Amino acid sequence: MDEENDDLIPQKQSLFPLSADDIVDNALQSLDEQQAREVTKKAADEVVRIAVEKRKAEYRSDRAQDEMRNLIHNANLLDEKVGDYKINSTFETATGTTSVEIKKSRSNLTLIVAASALALLLIVILLLVFLK
Amino acid sequence: MLYILLAIPVLVVLIYFLRSRALTSPANVLTRGQENANLVKVLLDLEAKPREELFTLYKDQFGDGAARYARQTYQKWKDGTVKPNKQTFHRFLINLPRVMNFDLKCEVLRELREAYCAKDHYEVTVTTDDWKKTLAPIVEGVLKKALTSELPESLRRRLTWLAEDDVAVGNAILVESEARQTRNALALLENEFSNIEELLDNASGRSKVTHELRLPMGTISIQIEKGNGNG
Repeated sequence: MDEENDDLIPQKQSLFPLSADDIVDNALQSLDEQQAREVTKKAADEVVRIAVEKRKAEYRSDRAQDEMRNLIHNANLLDEKVGDYKINSTFETATGTTSVEIKKSRSNLTLIVAASALALLLIVILLLVFLK
Repeated sequence: MLYILLAIPVLVVLIYFLRSRALTSPANVLTRGQENANLVKVLLDLEAKPREELFTLYKDQFGDGAARYARQTYQKWKDGTVKPNKQTFHRFLINLPRVMNFDLKCEVLRELREAYCAKDHYEVTVTTDDWKKTLAPIVEGVLKKALTSELPESLRRRLTWLAEDDVAVGNAILVESEARQTRNALALLENEFSNIEELLDNASGRSKVTHELRLPMGTISIQIEKGNGNG
């Protein structure tokens, strides 16, 4: 199996005095020839299975990238034409599920600005009243 | 009036005692019958090909009538509407494993590991700059888990075939396989984060991104925020 070089992935480390390889070696010694052949076949099948899963995951990743670009495009279109919007989207990616929420709320922003201005005005009035 | 005043603290203590008993009592402890039903259910979660092999083997061992009944009742056992009896449990999980080929035994073991090995769930917030650094210790934990996770002792005591040499080898293959799948997933994360960063950089409005990273021995729920480009 190919080993990916990435600094997120810790390098092979010894966690146990007995590694998985040791366990396999010890148990293999107790198996007959037929069983040993079955083990070899299963290990090879598993390698193929993992490789197929990895290829499928890469395909999902490419598809998710396209879908995310579409989402960006749609969000930008909405941004030009609509004041308030909210988009929720999920993508099946290579390693799991990505959930995205994009929202813009101009009315909320206006409300916050207006409330802040009003509060400021009130403070000024109160200051003027008390300082008189 | 005095009696009422005295009764109130007594009642409070009594309620507290009963509540704490209710909370600590093992409400979700399964009966042997429920445990057996769950194990049969897990076994019947096998993918189509190994499940077909299992039913063929069942027919060879226990005859046409028993096999016909098993096929007819399979869906009901699976969705829990019919509880398998002790004999069915014994046939599927005690007798059949002794005559299964190595491949089928490994597939059964895979289902048992999936259902019974403890899994972790992490929740973490990262930025597009620091995600690698933040995730590194969690990833190390998940990898350790993949390499060390074992079926519960109680299950190994009941299903004694799990201790046989070929099953030990099968288990080692599955452990290694889970660790490699974890490594593969982590290698693909780089690309995932690049896609997410592109989204955060280019989408107008306020974006909130969560990624549920699914690994064989657990999940990591990652809340991703836009970094300031110093990563």
